[in-house]
Formats: sequence, C-alpha cells, structure tokens
Amino acid sequence: MADTTLETPAVTQHPRRIRWETIGDHVVLILGSLLMMMPPLLALTTASHDAVTIHREGLQLALGDDLGKNFHAAMFEKGGFTQTVDGTLMLMNSFILGIGFAVGKIIISMMAAYAIVYFRLRFATLAFWVIFTTLLLPLEVRILPSYEAIQKLGLTNTYTGLIVPLIASATGTFFFRQFFMSVPEELAEAARIDGAGPWKFFVDILVPLSRTMIAAIFIIMFVFGWNQYLWPTLITTDESFFTLVRGIKQIVLSYTDSQIPEHGQALALAIVAMIPPVVIVVFFQNWFVKGLTESDK
Amino acid sequence: MKRAGFDNIWLPVALLLPQLMIIAIFFYWPAAWALQSSFFLQDPFGFGSTFVGADNYTSLLGNNQYKRIAWFTIVFSVLVTFFSLAIALLLAVKADKVIRGAKTYRTLLMWVYAIAPPVAGFLGILFFDQSTGPMTKFFQSFGWDFKLGVDYNATATAMVIAAVWKQIPVNFIFFLSGLQSIPRSVREAAMIDNRSATGRFWQVTFPLLAPTAFFLLIINITYALFDTFGIIDALMKGEPGNNPMTLVYKVYLDGFRGNDLGGSSAQSVVLMVLVLVLTVFQFRLVERRIHYT
Amino acid sequence: MTNLKFSATAAAIAFTATAAFAETEITWWHAMGGQLGETVNKIADDFNASQSDYKITPVYKGSYEETLTAGIASFRAGEHPNVMQVFDAGAATVIGAKGATIPVQDLLSDNGVDFDINDYIAGVRYFFADSDGKMIGMPFNSSTPIMYYNVDALAKAGVTPPQTWEEFQAITAPALKEAGYVALSQSHLPWIFTENFMSRHNLPFATNNNGYDSTDTEILVNSDAIKAHFTAVTEWQKDGMFEWFGTGWGDNQKPFEEDKVAMWLGSSGSFGGLLQKDLPFQFSAVELPYWESVIAEPKQTFIGGAALFAMSGKSEEENKATAEFFRFLTSPETQYFWHQETGYVPITEASYELAKKDGHYDRFPAAEIGVTQLSAEAGEHTKGYRMGFYVQIRDIMNREYGRILTGEVDVETAFKNIEEEANELLARFAKTQG
Repeated sequence: MADTTLETPAVTQHPRRIRWETIGDHVVLILGSLLMMMPPLLALTTASHDAVTIHREGLQLALGDDLGKNFHAAMFEKGGFTQTVDGTLMLMNSFILGIGFAVGKIIISMMAAYAIVYFRLRFATLAFWVIFTTLLLPLEVRILPSYEAIQKLGLTNTYTGLIVPLIASATGTFFFRQFFMSVPEELAEAARIDGAGPWKFFVDILVPLSRTMIAAIFIIMFVFGWNQYLWPTLITTDESFFTLVRGIKQIVLSYTDSQIPEHGQALALAIVAMIPPVVIVVFFQNWFVKGLTESDK
Repeated sequence: MKRAGFDNIWLPVALLLPQLMIIAIFFYWPAAWALQSSFFLQDPFGFGSTFVGADNYTSLLGNNQYKRIAWFTIVFSVLVTFFSLAIALLLAVKADKVIRGAKTYRTLLMWVYAIAPPVAGFLGILFFDQSTGPMTKFFQSFGWDFKLGVDYNATATAMVIAAVWKQIPVNFIFFLSGLQSIPRSVREAAMIDNRSATGRFWQVTFPLLAPTAFFLLIINITYALFDTFGIIDALMKGEPGNNPMTLVYKVYLDGFRGNDLGGSSAQSVVLMVLVLVLTVFQFRLVERRIHYT
Repeated sequence: MTNLKFSATAAAIAFTATAAFAETEITWWHAMGGQLGETVNKIADDFNASQSDYKITPVYKGSYEETLTAGIASFRAGEHPNVMQVFDAGAATVIGAKGATIPVQDLLSDNGVDFDINDYIAGVRYFFADSDGKMIGMPFNSSTPIMYYNVDALAKAGVTPPQTWEEFQAITAPALKEAGYVALSQSHLPWIFTENFMSRHNLPFATNNNGYDSTDTEILVNSDAIKAHFTAVTEWQKDGMFEWFGTGWGDNQKPFEEDKVAMWLGSSGSFGGLLQKDLPFQFSAVELPYWESVIAEPKQTFIGGAALFAMSGKSEEENKATAEFFRFLTSPETQYFWHQETGYVPITEASYELAKKDGHYDRFPAAEIGVTQLSAEAGEHTKGYRMGFYVQIRDIMNREYGRILTGEVDVETAFKNIEEEANELLARFAKTQG
C-alpha cells in the first residue's frame, strides 16, 4: 500500500493498439484533471476583476487588472462590519486552528494509545471502549449539546473552545494504536532489559520510530482542522476569532442581503483559504497518501 | 493489550487522563444532555421547560417534512457515493496504466482534497448562478429551466455535483493505492488468461479492489451524511426555503436557527441511533472482508 | 442563573470601584451588515461624542437569526450584551421569556426619560408591545413593505403604478408585459404576501388577538382571501406577469435592478441601498396594493425589521446608560439621520415632522411612502402578531410558497400544510413556556 511509485505491467502487444489505448487513457485523465482544476482556476481568474463586472457577468475566463487590488483588499483592509478583522488575522486564526488541532490531537492521542497498548491495566478494555465509542458519532451529530457544553464552560469565542472539542474524537488514538500494535514486541522487551523505564522508552524509542506516522497524521489533521466550518461558525461570533473558512460564511451572507457582494475580494479570500492546505497536501503527498491509506485500515 | 507491557500504574493513568477528560466533557456529557433534553420542551433563555415524554420523537416521526428530508438524505448519499466512487475508479484505473505524466496526473487529481467544503459550495454558487452561471447555462441548453434556489431538483443537482467533485480525490487516492498494491505476478497471470482489458478489469482487478471499495463505501456514506454540511449551507445561501437538505442540516436549523432545543436534541438522538446502526453494519462488513481476503 | 447573578454583582462592584473616573460602558449586539452596519457605527460614535458619561460599543453578530441565537446563548452564560437587536420573527421568543429583558417602557421611566407611546408613529407602536400595550422592545430599524417601480418602464408601457391588485391584473401587468417587462417580483413572501396581507386587509392572522393575549394560539392563515390571492399570483406567473426567483431577498431584487422586472415589492428600508446603486433608470415607490374585493379602504401595515431590547441582569448604572442611549436614539435628529441614510422609517411623529420640514420628501417622495402607509387607518387586526417558533413557521411558509410557485403542490394543499405544521409548532412553543 505504501508504495507510491507507479508500476505498469510489462506488456507486449501490438504497438498500434497500445497507442490508441494510451491516447484514450490520457484523454480521460486530462478531462478528469480539467474537471478538478477548472473551478479553482476560474476562481483565480475571476478574482482579477472588479465587483461590478463579476456581479453582472459572472465567472471570467480571462485575467483582469484587479488581481493585486482584490488580494490587497482581502488581506489588509479591515472588512467585516465591526471593521476589526482583515484577511491576515483570519489567516492567522486558521493557522492557530489547523496547527493547534493537529498538534493537540497528536500529543493527546499518542499518549492515550501508548497507555492502552503498552500497559497492563485492569481498566484497559474499559478505557478502550470509552474512547473508541467516540469514533461512532461525529461532532455534527451532537452539535447542539456540544455547543451547550462549551457555552456552560464559558468557552465561546476562545481558542480553547474552538480547538479542544474537535479533539474529542478518537481517530488519532485509533491510528496510533494500530501503529503501535505493528511495532515489534521485542523492542519494548529489549528496552526493559536495558533498564529503560516506560517514559524513556516512549520518548526515546517509540516517538522517533513514529516520525513518519506523525508527519502523515499531522498533514491529515491540519487539513481537517483548517477546513472546519460548522463548529467555528457556532463558537466564534466575535470576528477577531474568525478563520478564513468561517469568513466565507460572511461572504455568502452578503448574497442574501441586497448589497452588491464584493465578489473579487471574496474570491481572493477563498483562494487564500485554499492555498496552505493545498500546498501541504501537494508537497508532502507521499506522506499524506501513506498516512491516509494506511491509518484508516 | 500487548503482552509485553509495563507494570507502572500511575503513568498510564496520567497518559490517558487528558484524552478521557476531553471525551467526558465534550462527548459523554453532551450526549447525555441531548438525551435528557430530547424529553423536554424548553424556553431557550432557560426560564421555563415542560417534560413532554416522547412527544419530540413522535412529532418528528409523524412529520411528513422530516420524512421528506430523510428521503432526500438517502437519495443524496446514494448519488454522491455512486458518482464519486465511479468517477474516481475510472480515473484511478487510467492513472495506474499510463506511464508518462503519471505523477502529474496524480497530483492534479488529488489536490482538491485540501479544499474546504464551504469553499467548494461558494464556487458552486458562482457556477450555478441563476443568470450568469456556466453550469446553469449548460443545463438550460438541454431545455431544463435550471434555477438554483427556485427549482428543488435544480438545487439538489447542484448540491450533488459540488459534493461529488469534492469527494473524488479521496476515493481516487484509495483506489490508486489499492490498484498499485496488486502484485505484478497477478497482473501478468491475468494478462495471459484474459486478453480483453475490460474483461480483465471486471474479473481480476475489480474483485481485488473490493475490500477497498467496501471501506470507501462507508467513508463516502459518512461524508455524504455529515461532511457535506458546508456545501449545503453555502448553496442554500442562508434561506432554507424550498431547498433540499440533509438530516444533519435539519438538526442545525431547528437547534440554531429555530431555537427549538427539545426538537433538535431528539433529532440528534435519532441520528446517533442511525450512526450506531451504520457502524454495526460496517463491523459486519469488515468481518466479512477479512474472511474474504 | 447563578452565573447571571454573579456577573451582575461583579459588574456592580467593578462599577463602584471605578465610578469616580470612568465612563459606563455598554454593548449593543446587532444584525446590521454592510452599509447599514456603517450607519449603526456612526450613530454609536455620535452618541459617544455627545456626552462623556457613557460609551456604547456596537457589535455585528451576523444575520438576524444568528444574532438572536448568539444573544440567547450569551444570556444563559451570563455574558449577554446590554442591548440586543431582535427581529420581528423572534419577538415571541424574547418577549415570552419573562425576565430576560426589561420592558423598554419601564427602563425609560425608571431612569427619568419621558415616555409616551403616542409619540410614536401608529404602525410602530404595538408590534413589540405586550397584550396590555406596554412597549417591551424599542423599534429600531422599522420598515414596511412597499412597491418600488421603474418609472421609465411604466412610462413606456403607458401606465401608472397600480393601487389595487385588480388594477394590476387588468391594466398594469398586461401593459408592462406588452412593453417587454416582467411586471412584478417580490422579496420575502411570508412578510409581504402573508403577514402584511392580513394587516392591509384587516384579516385576523391568529386566534387570541393575533397571538398577543395567550400562547395557546392557532394560526388563521388557511383563509379564503389569502388563498385567492395566491391563486391569482400563480395565474400571473403563468401569464408571465410575475416571476419568483427563490427565497433569497436579493435574488428577487436583482432583476428589478437589472431593468428586467418593472415593479418590485420590497422593504421601505431598501430605499437607501437602491439610491446608492446608481440604477440606470428612475425609480419611485407607492403603497402596497390591496384587493378592492376584500376591503374597500385598505388599513395600515405594521412594521417589520427589528427592535432593540434591554437585557436584564445588568447594573443600574448600565441600565441608566442604556436608557440614555435610547433617549439619544429616539431623538428627532438621530431618527431623521437613520431615516435618510437607510430608508427605514422614523419611529416618532416628531422625527417625521422634522423630515417633512427639512424637505426630505420633496427631494425623495418615495421615502415617505412607508411612513404614510404605517400611519394609515388602524383596524382590529393591524398591530402585528405574536407567535412562537415563528422563525420555523416562516420557513414553512417559504417552503410551501416555493412549492406552489414551482408547481409542486396546489394552493389548497400548501395552506393546509402550513396551517397544520404551524399549529403543531405553536402548541409546542406553548409548552416551552410552562
């Protein structure tokens, strides 16, 4: 599964037939790539036009003159309605959410998985079930009660309230549990014989051994956290806590009003919201693919 | 779980504590609260409440609109799952075959994974705009008076297309990696036995991909049920009106737009039960899958 | 509740500690986006500049629905603002929760601000009042549905704006169609074609005095006059004289701005926005048409939009600040400024007089339409309505009207659905108050 190099079967066939078939394959793949590429690309070209043009004519294929202007406005002009927030601040909040969520989840779930896999505990089975039941119910299903809890704790409009409840699902623990189970038992045995305590074993051996796994899960969790929408929409009503994806909601709101929406700026903001997760996924795609396909098994 | 374990008592407790606390506070407490408040009707400000027994459930299950939403949720999930799996499978098979540009294709076909659903929904608004949207014009050229937000089926179509588009990359990644894990020897043997490429695919490759497909089925159903929230919310443009919606969206609407805490909680509980049933089903499948391979 | 008491005490202590040298700060949550939000900020700035004892901070909280939900959540957490803007459909929720707000009438008289409900324009007086006519929420952005029309288009078609639906049907719409226009589109069907339809024709909208007197209310929407109206609308639609562009407000306004639709039913509060857009044609407005066959003399409509509620659980000093802010807000000058900038109606007679004297209506005759319509003769059923879970009831109406206009259901079935579902919600709401 981990092997991402592309193999093709060694085939000897009539050369003419191969060519036609190969061309067909490429046509399908090019069409598929276009299908995936076109919407964001059109968003980019359209973001280079002024609001009135977009309002009247819709999406634009050609590049206009306002790209820089729109991006500048989206990132550095305090928009919104309290005039307190610009794209840069939302970008920062998105990073706080993405990184905070990924790091928090990795630390907490590694610790829990370690305890479950490597310790003889009387309540291990209980702990296992208590934790893994959470896999069954995504946050969306229990959104109202979770909101009630946050509100009772006074955590609305805080980073804690934004990040911690998202960690309450055991996906990460499950991934690490699977991984630790595949680590040879002799390692722990050897460590014990060498006189290393459980903490030393964890920090000096297990964590370094999990590096690739950590990287893969970090990418997946970062993208997951970055792209959160429903939860931030409910928890952050104070604009200074808005993430980029949450900001999109404000943009959509302007459509229901009778104002002319600032399409150009809105698209610029949407593009900024896409860039960091896309860059990470594209540049670390081998780790990412490995993490995704292995950890879910 | 592992035999070669450490005997320390306090360390594992300390290690487990953060996770258990978070789960207790943000999972079990809310779930219990939902169950409890689903038997009450309460003033949202917290001044009054009446115990109504199972009223919230009976009025839900007797409501035609709720049934209509449940039906849409099923149709939506089936369509999204089918199309995103089918398109992704086709692309993965082709991407597995070609030699030139294979890596580029893979990148181009998977990067949309990173785009947030509401951003996809926002792009959808522009593509399906009533007067200027290219997709609107495309459907109108077939004589369909396609109008987002007016025609129920048009809005549903837009939601399905946006949701499928967003889900293709994940399926593609899994299918491609599944295909690449088929041993070379198997492929070569198949090449000798079966000369037609289509026949080879259905008789050899597809059965070998079946475990991946089973797994993806669950992933896709979960996606269609829950993760499409952002897409649906964006395409609805803030007004439910006569637009289609999923069960999860309805929980949100009644809870956060309508401030009907009891009704929304009852719906949450119904969904929890639904998910539990799905999970039991999933475990069954996984078991069978283990026997299968 | 403990939280609430605690924060109130804490605020009081904090105040006494700093009273000697600090101004009292209060917050105001509102749902006014875009240009309206800027006007809100300007009003707050002006209030802060007008004196040195109090400072108000306006905070935008999203749509009406989001603002209400955020306000409710914050109230339960004891972190609520002093002033909260609540829209018409949320009135029953916030007024029903006795103890959540201080009736504005009490707040003002307790803090030495004169209050006489008769100073207010007739149509705004009682919508946010209780069954005894005591004003609970201070009407803020008060609008009423009026009919905007494209002056050039009507001239081209050789017609004048219709006063009645009979005239529209027989004369105006066919002529406009002939001239290449869709005669009519309209935003917000529940508000204009249901709630205000009832008021305009003096028809009861709900039992118990439109719901003001008690919560065991039933909706009376399934009545002949309104069903006949919707049947007529579907016929206009078939004849190409009416078009519906979806539930979104802007979706129906945009074709009017694009010169495709000749007349548009919108809010008097849309006036400021339309003026700013620099439309390629002249526009004006008239009062909401009525069916002559239903009522000979049309009655007043009531206000839509939203009111400001003073939340309870705040210190006396802060309440005093809120009262002072309301005094400032209701002053003729502030009201006139708000009216000019946005098109929302001035809520007091004095501010209306000021606008008249200043020649505002000579410059913009359309700006006066909302005020005159709200000041028209009152009837038994014209003060408004008070129904719980009304946000959902409106959503049900929107859904069923959408189904009527896309041919999914007939008018009869749709109204039966609305009646059944709304009554079930009303019964449920009554229990939340128990």
